[in-house]
Amino acid sequence: MAPPRIPATPNEIAFSEAFASQGPVANYGLEELLALAAKNNPTLRQAEAHISAELGKALQAGLYPNPVLSYEAEQIGVDGPNGTSTPGEFQGGVIEQRFVTGGKLRLSREKYLRRARVSENLAMAQQFRVCNDVRIHFYKTLAAGEILSIRREMAKTAEDSAVTAQESYNMGQSNRPQVRRANVALQRARLDVLAVENAYNEAFRTLSTLVGIPLCVGTVEGVLETRCPVISFEEAYGRLLAESPELAAARAKLSVDQVTVARENVQWVPDLVVRGGAGYNFEAEQTTAVAGVVLEVPLYDRNQGTVRQAQADYARQRQEIERVELELRNRLAMIYQQYLTGMQHAREYEQVILPELKAAYRELLESYKERRVDWPDVLMAQHDYFDARLTQVDNLLHARTQEVLVYGYLLHDGLMAAPGISPQGHIESVPKPR
Amino acid sequence: MSKKPSNANQSERRRFLKTSAMAAGGAFYGGLVGTSTAAQEHARKMLDMQHGNQLPAPLGDPAAGRPVGVQAEYDGYSRFKPTRGDDPDSDFYLGKLMPGFRSADAGNAPFYAPDLDKLPWKMVGGVKEFHLVPMAVEREVLPGYKLNVYGYNDSMPGPTIEVTQGDRIRIIVTNELPEETSVHWHGFELPVQYDGASELTQNLIKPGKSFVYEFDVHENGTFFYHSHIPMQEAFGSVGFMIVHPKKVYAPPVDRDLGLIFQNFYVEPSQSIADSWRMDWNWQTINGRSGPYTTPLVVKHGERVRIRIMNFSPMQHHPVHIHGHTFWITGHEGARIPKSAWVPRNTELIGIAQATDFEFIANNPGDWMFHCHMVHHMMNHMTRQVGPRVRPDQTVEAYLADLDRSPGVNLKNSDPGFKTPGYPQEMKGMVMQPEFMKAIWNRREVQGMRATWPMSVMGLMTVLRVLPDDLYRIVMESDDRVEKGAVFAEIVRRFGSPADYEAAMKMHGMS
Repeated sequence: MAPPRIPATPNEIAFSEAFASQGPVANYGLEELLALAAKNNPTLRQAEAHISAELGKALQAGLYPNPVLSYEAEQIGVDGPNGTSTPGEFQGGVIEQRFVTGGKLRLSREKYLRRARVSENLAMAQQFRVCNDVRIHFYKTLAAGEILSIRREMAKTAEDSAVTAQESYNMGQSNRPQVRRANVALQRARLDVLAVENAYNEAFRTLSTLVGIPLCVGTVEGVLETRCPVISFEEAYGRLLAESPELAAARAKLSVDQVTVARENVQWVPDLVVRGGAGYNFEAEQTTAVAGVVLEVPLYDRNQGTVRQAQADYARQRQEIERVELELRNRLAMIYQQYLTGMQHAREYEQVILPELKAAYRELLESYKERRVDWPDVLMAQHDYFDARLTQVDNLLHARTQEVLVYGYLLHDGLMAAPGISPQGHIESVPKPR
Repeated sequence: MSKKPSNANQSERRRFLKTSAMAAGGAFYGGLVGTSTAAQEHARKMLDMQHGNQLPAPLGDPAAGRPVGVQAEYDGYSRFKPTRGDDPDSDFYLGKLMPGFRSADAGNAPFYAPDLDKLPWKMVGGVKEFHLVPMAVEREVLPGYKLNVYGYNDSMPGPTIEVTQGDRIRIIVTNELPEETSVHWHGFELPVQYDGASELTQNLIKPGKSFVYEFDVHENGTFFYHSHIPMQEAFGSVGFMIVHPKKVYAPPVDRDLGLIFQNFYVEPSQSIADSWRMDWNWQTINGRSGPYTTPLVVKHGERVRIRIMNFSPMQHHPVHIHGHTFWITGHEGARIPKSAWVPRNTELIGIAQATDFEFIANNPGDWMFHCHMVHHMMNHMTRQVGPRVRPDQTVEAYLADLDRSPGVNLKNSDPGFKTPGYPQEMKGMVMQPEFMKAIWNRREVQGMRATWPMSVMGLMTVLRVLPDDLYRIVMESDDRVEKGAVFAEIVRRFGSPADYEAAMKMHGMS
């Protein structure tokens, strides 16, 4: 009785994108992808637009008010010397100019210039978000490629097991259910290959979206192993405190709030509005002039409410800095433990586990060569070694991903819309920014 | 012998072989082996055939004759050719009581256990005093294969204690094992305090301590000593104890040979025997496995005694000698009365039993001598599946890159796989040049067929029955003897040389 047949490959019965099996494919390096992202990722343009917007506000806020020209006709119809009705006691042009006091314009300009600086920091954060995300997905794609390669090797192991089951059957050393189980294990291994092919395509396509332009599906070239020295938690946190763009933005925002307080403190200082003009007095039949001065008397409204609000915003921002520091520490705590675990696993796999499994596989191969062990024992060792290599790819990816975050100020998600300075607050809700 | 065969046509023959082998490699082996590399390898092996179908040149002196004054035939039984005799009731039926060449006056024939030493003794106050040291031992069971076992005096099995019936013996046992032990004198009727049954009759001998056993030996026969700690027994703690009779057994033998059969379980890439196992994958005779077991070489016409002792922990051995029928003349208990001797070709020897075989070596040749259990006819028997049985596949391809598998064809193209049960061939172990050098570097194997090591494995050895002149060349000269020459000479003298094909001289076995 013949053994159950070895089943056909899933490629013959299922849809397959058949990655990298048709013709030449493009290869991409990390630097090339980062350059492409810098050029094409829309969130970086958004971040630049936020800076421009703040600079525009600064320009606008510092502009001096225009003079106001008016023509005035007063007392139209008043009787003139002849007893006739005249065009008016005064017909003439008047010019009015507001003189801004208290340095309001300078402070407003300063405030928005400082806001532009906040936006610059936010743009820097956005750059890290994009670059880190490109790096992470580059390594994910690289890992997916390596996993695919290992899974294909494991499928070969499963094929060997299926053939071995056939051979064993022919020698009376396995029965039909055992052959069927080997066939099932083979199909599962083949499905694993297809799943990993799909995962690779997903990883590459995700990478492509981060870069900002569609890329032909290809391969990435790089090294998954980490290159940076292992950093301690306190070192990593100190680096965040000193260099995090998010923290820098928060600190710059405090500076904005500081000048906002100064700005609101002078808001009550009345501007001087001076007006003057010349015309003709048809009643007196002579040329006359007008002049006037307007000055608001800050009797009730000395902007004390807004000043208090600005002071509150300032105080809140001080807390915001502290909050950001703590929030960074909080995020770092989780990422750092994953980073350290990944590094520890990767190192131990590299130095002990993989060499030991490889040596065990080699020793069994040599024992088989000397006809001392059965081939299924060798295949089991081969499977164990390949399986551990899969785990090592996971370890390396894990370590590398967290390393990118630790060294990249914990920033990621490069397709999130670039944030502007926040909160906007209602002080800005006036036609002219102040 | 240094005499070389005529090789006038050798270069022409080699050229022919080379051409035809290469052609065969393309035509025949292309289908079977599949790659030109494999075919070339096969062709290269063929080139190593030293003689083709021709026999090596004659060896020795067939005219040298037989010993003078020796009676060649008794009651129809010949000491020089396979015979049974004329009458089953005759004393000489199957050579039962046919004397050897040795006279009884010369005393007992010296006992010889290949690959084992004898334990020296000195007479102290009328007592033969021996010093026996239980200890951990490293034993090279095959060239390059060393096992960690227990034994005595740097040997596993231990050295043979050889005494004569009536001796008083003193054995001072000094325990160099890191654990307690005792020594049991298996089969002796001695004062109970020296029986060595641990704790029942004595306190165990602590590491570094000594214990003195002393008793009179009134028995004769094949005995042995061993530790009475079971796991130490399974780990190899045993040795022969031969007691020669005061009165030489009649008829006297020319050869008195001893073999201890054992087996062990040793994992691959491991050297320490696992005494807890219930199965056994290393087979040894006197501490060596075939083909490293040393052949028993006797002269044509001699009367031979072989004492076999089975000290395997769990398994009995049906021991079979080719080409001869022997008489069972004794067990470890005692010499059997002649009326109860049994003729056999195969004798089942149980655990802890010894059996004495006696026969006339009347059939020249190299005769298989082995345990007939299939799984004992090689070491660490493994299943055949895998690259070994696949066309186009080698283990080297796997070893070349451990990170990548060379892959496998899903259908074995070997037409033999249409036959259920194929292949049943018991493939031998890989024999490297150094291994082969050690195998051949012994006088006892000189002149055997070049391929003999491929068949003698595990609990196997060879009984070589050689005419006197060939015996002298093999055992008493330093001459180089060409592979297959002695065997061919025996075929020439006693067989049908026209039908005989010389062995292919395998590559790496020179």
